[in-house]
Amino acid sequence: MQGVLTDKHSKFLKRHLGVLPSRYQEHDANKLSIVGYSLLGLSCLSDEATDPFKGSRSWLRRHYRTGLFNGKKIGGFCPSQLLDVENATSISLPNTLFALWSFICLKDTTVLTEIDRVDICRFVSMCQSPNDGSFVGSLDVLKESTTSPTESNDSRMSYIAVVILYLLGLKTPEEMSEFIDIRGLVEYLKTKCCINGGFGEYGEAHAGYTSCALSVFAILKTEWHGLSETFLEETLAWLKMRQVSSQGCHCFQNENEYFDAQDNGGFQGRENKFADSCYVFWCLNSIRIIEETHTNETERGAMRFLLERTQNSLIGGFSKNDEEEPDLYHTCMSLAAIGLMTGKFNGPLFLPTHLVVAAL
Amino acid sequence: MVEWKFDYSDLDKITENKPETGPGVSEKGELCGIMYDDEYKEIMRVFRGVLSLKEKSERALYATEVAILAVPAFYTAWNYRFDIVKALYGDSGDQLDRELDWLDEFTLANPKNYQIWSYRQAVLKVHPKPIFRRELPILAAMLDEDSKNYHVWSYRRWCVQFFGVLDEELTFADALIVRDVFNNSAWCHRMFVMKELEVDLAQRAASAEIEYAKAKILIAPQNISPWNYLRGIYNGILGSQFDAEIVTFALAFAGDVFDAHGDASPTANAQSSFALEFLAAIYSQNEETAPKAIAAYNALSSKYDPIRKSLWDHKIARLRT
Repeated sequence: MQGVLTDKHSKFLKRHLGVLPSRYQEHDANKLSIVGYSLLGLSCLSDEATDPFKGSRSWLRRHYRTGLFNGKKIGGFCPSQLLDVENATSISLPNTLFALWSFICLKDTTVLTEIDRVDICRFVSMCQSPNDGSFVGSLDVLKESTTSPTESNDSRMSYIAVVILYLLGLKTPEEMSEFIDIRGLVEYLKTKCCINGGFGEYGEAHAGYTSCALSVFAILKTEWHGLSETFLEETLAWLKMRQVSSQGCHCFQNENEYFDAQDNGGFQGRENKFADSCYVFWCLNSIRIIEETHTNETERGAMRFLLERTQNSLIGGFSKNDEEEPDLYHTCMSLAAIGLMTGKFNGPLFLPTHLVVAAL
Repeated sequence: MVEWKFDYSDLDKITENKPETGPGVSEKGELCGIMYDDEYKEIMRVFRGVLSLKEKSERALYATEVAILAVPAFYTAWNYRFDIVKALYGDSGDQLDRELDWLDEFTLANPKNYQIWSYRQAVLKVHPKPIFRRELPILAAMLDEDSKNYHVWSYRRWCVQFFGVLDEELTFADALIVRDVFNNSAWCHRMFVMKELEVDLAQRAASAEIEYAKAKILIAPQNISPWNYLRGIYNGILGSQFDAEIVTFALAFAGDVFDAHGDASPTANAQSSFALEFLAAIYSQNEETAPKAIAAYNALSSKYDPIRKSLWDHKIARLRT
């Protein structure tokens, strides 16, 4: 891809897979997300970029834990050996998904046996609330109730649950419904619809939550489950309005402290916020789910924003805007967005297309 | 090394067999090999020790605090802490208040963490006498820090529903809108309040809200938030019945777009693309006014909001079929 500093990004991403200074220990509970974002980012750069890390599959596999929960066997991934306690449930849905993505990037999903797959599906199943169909990320550590009482439920967790099941081979709502309540899942997401389009908490539409909700509908592939045409039309318009512009009337925003004319072409996550590279992915993925034909002009502006404003030409990586330092998350999201625009990335599954073909 | 407030030496036997990882014990194929320092290893050794005993004691509570300070997103530690709090404090309001005090301190030091909010909700749900007022200072402090913090606003709205208190919310949102008329979260909060009201109450409040939004649009016409708010009030509460008055109001920002010879006039430019979009949506409602909607979308497409040309052209195509 022209203009993408592939070698620099490759080095930037590989640095995160190597030895990390002790200040990273505060992220120990999300360590598999560091592994996952790095490997996903590398996979966006080239098919072979993750080859040097194939020897890490058994190390990753050692984060797999099984246990009995309310009499049922469950399985999933814990974030780090130091945070793992025998007889307590330290596995989580996010860490499990990052592990699955990582195995796919390392081109080996046979690490998980059929038995493992069923155990993980059962874990996903137990993370769903029977009351409202939502998901939380973990189960109660002392097994006094089912789901963790201190975790929040939102459309991100619904997304994570559905992608895990899909990557484990349950590709249709019928197959998934052996483990989760599809109707409950859909009804819950519908409560997150906002009045002027988009999805979010308590009526405030947010591009990240919108992408998670729409990706679930895309993966379930069943005619929007009764979301109205008007709502989808408004959501599409809401998403397109998130592209920041300095043209026409938009230059009349001098008093808006969250407006920067230089952001032209980038995407924001909510109204009256600065553009941010990760929202290029969240918005474009959402737009592409609703709209079959995509618009080149929109994407050209977004591409310019990524390459000219957030790509770091010295040390590699992408930052959220032109002021911050590049970071792993924004680097992975920007490369995913570029992949999406160049037809090489499956947005709903968050995987480069070549890996989807190979793994599933 | 950590200065522990309690003695955990009896745990050594339990934890000594646990293989420690890190650069000292470099594992084959290890990724993200964090150079854990000795203090961190000790904190987690103690944490694993009390948790493996499922101990619910003051010293276990303290061990969770130290672990959470080291790893703010450590979901297992938050969960375990809550189980301990329930066992130790039961339904003692005073003791649960002290837990909230601790959480306030932690929140101020870790504004980006989001476990703090779901943990808070869990504590309030077991509190015998939760008080809305008790929540206001931390909410105010956090919004002072970042007036658009999504988690803080979500928590405020959770409180509104949990405590069933709506009275002060419009005033609260107004104060933030006065501070920054572009604060979209504050506008969304207003809409949230309107949707919480009984339907007839909301309908009665609607005209005052319309006047409110109009006054704010006069301050900054190119501000999407109050225009969205107007749309929400009309579509969500007033059954999409737009009146002549609001059309006249919006036309004041539309320049010469709807003049017969609009395109040829070099003088009157539209001041707000959002006003044009708002009018176009109203004009799209019936066939008679559809040509005006097309004129507005054309003006957006060519001049006032060209970055979204494809969206406006799509709207025009739909009106023409």
